[in-house]
Amino acid sequence: MIFRIIKFAFQNFYRNFWLALVTITILTVALFSITALITLNVIADKSIKSIEEKIDISIYFKKDADIQRILATKMEVSKLPEVKKTTLINKKDALNWFRQKHQNDKAILSSVDILDENPLGDVLVIKAKNTNDYQKILKFLSEKKYDDIIDRRDFDNKDHKEIIAKINAIKNKVRKIGYIIIGIFSFISILIVFNTVRIAIYTHRQEIAIMKLVGATNWFIRAPFLVEEVFYAFLSSMILISVFYPLLNFLEPHLNYFLNYNVDLLNYFKNNFFLIFGSEFLVISFINVFSSFIAMKKYLKV
Amino acid sequence: MVELKNVSKIYPHNVVGLKNVSINIKPKEFVSIVGQSGAGKSTLVKLLIAEERPSSGQIIIGDWDITHIRRSRIPVLRRQIGVVFQDFKLLPQKTVFENVAFAAQVCGEKNKKIKELVPKILNIVGLEDKSHRYPQQLSGGERQRVVIARSLIHRPKLLIADEPTGNLDSINAKEIIELLLRINEHNTTVILVTHNKEIVNSLKKRVITIAEGEVISDKEKGRYIL
Repeated sequence: MIFRIIKFAFQNFYRNFWLALVTITILTVALFSITALITLNVIADKSIKSIEEKIDISIYFKKDADIQRILATKMEVSKLPEVKKTTLINKKDALNWFRQKHQNDKAILSSVDILDENPLGDVLVIKAKNTNDYQKILKFLSEKKYDDIIDRRDFDNKDHKEIIAKINAIKNKVRKIGYIIIGIFSFISILIVFNTVRIAIYTHRQEIAIMKLVGATNWFIRAPFLVEEVFYAFLSSMILISVFYPLLNFLEPHLNYFLNYNVDLLNYFKNNFFLIFGSEFLVISFINVFSSFIAMKKYLKV
Repeated sequence: MVELKNVSKIYPHNVVGLKNVSINIKPKEFVSIVGQSGAGKSTLVKLLIAEERPSSGQIIIGDWDITHIRRSRIPVLRRQIGVVFQDFKLLPQKTVFENVAFAAQVCGEKNKKIKELVPKILNIVGLEDKSHRYPQQLSGGERQRVVIARSLIHRPKLLIADEPTGNLDSINAKEIIELLLRINEHNTTVILVTHNKEIVNSLKKRVITIAEGEVISDKEKGRYIL
């Protein structure tokens, strides 16, 4: 019986080739728009992450601070769950690092040059796991016990705080907008797919009635159509994959150049292949089967 | 074989399909049911294949009371009755062979048996050389033969032909009626629903006449009286 159902499904497919082609095209376009939106979301996310990665806080120790206490402070900060990485820069390297960091600020550089000796102490550069965590880390370092060894914290700078806050706000907004757009597009795509399947079934309405009059059970009629719908979903997913990867391969170098950052989209889609394309196939199959089921119900009442 | 006891079918807005109809058709009989358009002939066929349910009365086919037949049992009933429709009702995307085979496939018949049976049936209706054609590649008469072949595939004891000659020219119509008579000779009960006066008169078989949903005449070796 299963063999018979599959055979009928494939017969339906190639004997209604143009209808099948139109259905598959619409399904592929719907899947492509969703995947394109996911791609845009990934690009936005990765771009923000690249900015986030450039953010850190610097703790400037006093020139005469005890190295043992500085090392102990580094250890304590490293143990905080919010901290991703800590780097201790000694006085000499700190000066070079400071010059590099402010290479575009001539006023700061010339004021450093005027001084006879190195004005800096050791510097602890801290990178947090999340930009929201910097305030917590700073709060930890604001404890009184550190006052006698810490000279200043560059995160106290108001501009710095504002930039982080803005990045966080942008990040959250971009994510929110991304999800909303994907949601709206998914909804529109579902409606389009639902109606496409309904039209496809509508064209078969007389056949369905005839099958019923000849004595076929509802499931004997339904099953080939449902198998056919899953086959449509499979084919459109395959077409999507075979178009999407070469397109991504072509676009990625241009994107990297444009964003001045390696977004590594190919790798992202490679690592999440089954999650993205597998889910898309399952969801579109479900929508197809569900739409088909609903659309056929009416014509089976013979 | 077929028994209708005081069957009425009233559609919404009090439209009468059939009114208090009682008919008893014996096994192996050839019965013509005649009447003008809108007389209730099609309603009668729809009730016999459970496409419609009676508003009142009782319908028995064989030993089976189908008056309140469950939806899930309708396919079983239809597999036991051969039906020939005026508008053929062939599956356009299937070949002649596949159309006939389909009626056997719905019964779960094995492929091997279907491959043996279908050519035999097509031979009976004279279409053995057109088995790979699609319905749209056949003439009206040929299409009706396919329908008859399909209705015969599960060897029904009852064959209902609803205006089988309605879309055919006189030569084709005559051939189809001859085919139905041959089927009847092989002990299949045939109910011919028609409004073709010439055919009914030439048959010299039992004629039941319906007008405005009521049986107005039921005669052995009857004639078209309207």
